[in-house]
Amino acid sequence: MYEKMKARVNWPITILLFIGLLTIAFPLYMAIVIAFKQPSEMTTSISGILSLPELWSLSNFAQAMEVTDFWRSLGNSLLVTVATVLLSIVLHSLMGFAVGRNKAHSRFYNFVYLFIVSGMFVPFAILMMPLAKQTAEMHLANWAGVILLYVVFYMPMNLLLYTGYLVNIPIALEEAARVDGASTWRTFWKIIFPIMKPMHATVAVITALAVWNDVMTPLVIMAGSGQNTLPLAQLTFQTQFGTNYNLAFASYLLALIPIIIFYVICQKQIINGVVNGAVK
Amino acid sequence: MKKKNAVSAALAATMLTAAILPGCSSGKESGVTEIEILQYKPEAATYFDQVEDEFNETHDDIRLTISSPNDASTIMRTRFIREDYPDIIGIGGDINYSYYVDAGILADVSDYAGLADINPSYIDILENLEIVPTDGTYGVPYVANAAGILYNRDLFEEHGWEIPETWTELIDLCEEIEAEGILPFYFGFRDTWTCLAPWNALAVGLAPSDTCQNVNAGETTFTEEYRETAEKCLELVSYGPDDPFAYGYNDACTAFANGESAMYPIGSYAVPQILSVNPDMNIDSFVMPGNDNAADNTLNSGVDLMFAVTEECENKDAALEVIDFLLEDENIQAYIDDQNAIPCKTGDFQLASQLDGMTSFIESGNMTDYQDHYYPSEMAADALIQTFLIDEDVDAFLSDFDTRWQRYNRDIIREVQEYNEEHGTAE
Amino acid sequence: MKKVNDSKRTYMLITIPILALFVCFNTVPLIRGVIYSFTNFKGFGDYDWVGLRNYMDLFTDPRIGNSYLFTIKLAIVATIVTNVISLILALGLNSKIKGKTFLRAAYFVPNVLGALVVGYIFQYIFTYILPELGKMIGSETLSTSMLSSTSLAWIAIVVVCAWQNIAMNTIIYISGLQTVPEDVYEAGDLDGATGWKKFRYLTFPLIIPFFTINMVLCVKNFLMVFDQIMAMTQGGPAQSTESISHLIYQNGMEGGSFGYQSANAVVFFIVIVVISVAQMSISSKKEEQL
Repeated sequence: MYEKMKARVNWPITILLFIGLLTIAFPLYMAIVIAFKQPSEMTTSISGILSLPELWSLSNFAQAMEVTDFWRSLGNSLLVTVATVLLSIVLHSLMGFAVGRNKAHSRFYNFVYLFIVSGMFVPFAILMMPLAKQTAEMHLANWAGVILLYVVFYMPMNLLLYTGYLVNIPIALEEAARVDGASTWRTFWKIIFPIMKPMHATVAVITALAVWNDVMTPLVIMAGSGQNTLPLAQLTFQTQFGTNYNLAFASYLLALIPIIIFYVICQKQIINGVVNGAVK
Repeated sequence: MKKKNAVSAALAATMLTAAILPGCSSGKESGVTEIEILQYKPEAATYFDQVEDEFNETHDDIRLTISSPNDASTIMRTRFIREDYPDIIGIGGDINYSYYVDAGILADVSDYAGLADINPSYIDILENLEIVPTDGTYGVPYVANAAGILYNRDLFEEHGWEIPETWTELIDLCEEIEAEGILPFYFGFRDTWTCLAPWNALAVGLAPSDTCQNVNAGETTFTEEYRETAEKCLELVSYGPDDPFAYGYNDACTAFANGESAMYPIGSYAVPQILSVNPDMNIDSFVMPGNDNAADNTLNSGVDLMFAVTEECENKDAALEVIDFLLEDENIQAYIDDQNAIPCKTGDFQLASQLDGMTSFIESGNMTDYQDHYYPSEMAADALIQTFLIDEDVDAFLSDFDTRWQRYNRDIIREVQEYNEEHGTAE
Repeated sequence: MKKVNDSKRTYMLITIPILALFVCFNTVPLIRGVIYSFTNFKGFGDYDWVGLRNYMDLFTDPRIGNSYLFTIKLAIVATIVTNVISLILALGLNSKIKGKTFLRAAYFVPNVLGALVVGYIFQYIFTYILPELGKMIGSETLSTSMLSSTSLAWIAIVVVCAWQNIAMNTIIYISGLQTVPEDVYEAGDLDGATGWKKFRYLTFPLIIPFFTINMVLCVKNFLMVFDQIMAMTQGGPAQSTESISHLIYQNGMEGGSFGYQSANAVVFFIVIVVISVAQMSISSKKEEQL
């Protein structure tokens, strides 16, 4: 009976889900159509808005790449994102390990846990000015500063995820290793860190998405350094006195490609492993 | 075991420092003076890139960088707070200038020779913006803009419509246009700041130019001074599209460019955006005729861009040399061609044809600064006006305007009144 | 004994530097921000101490009150909409369907896009496409742009917030559903449980922890809504969609009331923490009951 159930495809639900996809496909269609049109094709009538561009030309994309200094901005964005993700995985999983294994019996660790997790609720606006001043005083008004800040900003969420996931990992595993003479440090790297792989993927995706799309932090911290991330460079398209939607959307689509690739790579891990961490 | 732990801890520490270290790069020494301009008009970025190149090609002792970032106001604020001042800032003649002068961020340039060539009415505008009268001049006005009504010249010629010079003529014209099945005005009020364009253009003719100062001095209220402006603004909007709050600035420019309305009450700065949609469009402008006595009308014009040297700038002579270069006639001409602006420098400049209808006012100096240049941005006067245009309740709007003004200007009002007590009331 | 010491020291050696980093870039600037909230600091130049004036003003400022009302209304409605839809989606995506991998990936796409970009796209749709559709079906309310109506604009914001957040919530629910063992359903089948009853009494109790995390994250994200507002309405029309974060940024950073808005941010922070803690303790009580 069980076998039979497994084999039967539920067609009504499948069809409904494919229909539901339209709500996602339609806005994307709009973005793509606008990205290929010329400003003169942008009319205010509905047929004009929905129509396909007269000419599928890549000129908007070429121009968008030029305006945003695409390759350099892309490189900067990649640098910040990759560095933040790697540092987050290492530091936050370590922290999750130390805090998660002790917060049940130690007041100090429980306090540290709550203290850091509550950092999730601090509105960025209140930190903005003081951070701008502080990073400048510490000579951190640069990439390194931005990366460090991200590591701190996403620590609450990631700590929540890692400590939650750790509950699923039987403590017996560590004790066995310890009996064999391994230090706690070694046990973490040899046993716990690899087991946390699904969580690493989740953390990597969530952190990477947030960093990739963030504008505010680099804007405030590195303003005037002449270095741009992609979202920062894209601000060029939005001026109060006019917006070039066509160029803007072309550049948004360009910026989307790397992160989509990254997501596709991590996707399997996310679906399989995932967020049960935060829950326990 | 112990050793390993120490090693790993050291490793972790190295990782951290490695992340921090690259921050400590030091500046290089050379005989070249670096001058940096941070200016707030991203739409003029192409022009400034060009000027930057030209300047650097012709000057060996000064290296100029001009940045025209999009979010310049945030960037300026964050750079001020971390005491990383650009040498020159390019800002508008609005309340931010007042704040910066008051905070002592800007240097006094009254000795600068180039000021002699600047139209004195623009220097007066800057003087008026100072919260309390302060000795000295803190900015070099570069270009101005003007707000009034843009109109579709071809459409006007085709139908034989006349340029109105009084309020009654304007309303009659609107009726006439409407009767022919054409929309008189377009608005893009979803972008709240655009609500200020018709507002300012009306207010300069209908309210005293020193309204805000008088309110700060406690001599009058906005309820008294702004009623006519508010009522007429409402009347204008009734000749616009059915739902003016649905469209943004961009949409309005596009619609006007495509001939969907005969007129568009906005500033001269909108022309480049309109031409980007319809490059062949034949646009002209006229002064908002708020009064029924044509002689009372005045052109709404203010300093759109000025250059101010910061107090922290180490080499002020070099900074002024850069400003000299920016003020060269051909550079100003290039700017006003590019941005449809009005030069603040006296001289023989070729104004864009889209300003034809305003030229007589400009030449005779019959110009009054934007009222909103005195409004603090956190008061969100633009949103207040938007609310008013939706609700159409004049009394509620005016009393709201007064309440908010008192709330957000508390510190300024105190400063002004203290000053007035010390120096006797302002004349 | 030595082993215990070793592990204790290791835990400390891990915790202290990372905690120091956190304190340095989160707690210290927060404290500085709190200090500014007692001044009339503009963001530059000199400032004076004003004591509790900023805090007193908060309670008499109708604009602040309105922004709280709007933000809370948005957060409640968007949280409900997001969770209902994503739970249904998750149930669908977890059932026996064709093209499961593709569908799961496709439904995640909104989460990949930046909130600003999503906002710009939807602004287009709400301004041009929806009114035309409204005219076609003859609906008076829909034939003008929702974004220009003081009573409807917030719904547009809800739609956009939900559209984007549903993706992440669905993933979390899917992973929750996967923890439900098959035999629970088999037992249910024997008892004759079907449809809604099966969900209500078998599935839902088992995924309550996931429900909690989704609720907390949603409420927090929606209370802090900023990018969508920036891209779509800038707080308009008539300040009807001015979220707290938007107000703090607009007046604190761009305008000159940094001190005042710092006070607003401090109060806002406390409000969010209180709401989140309340949420978590309510649902942990629920869990115990079940």
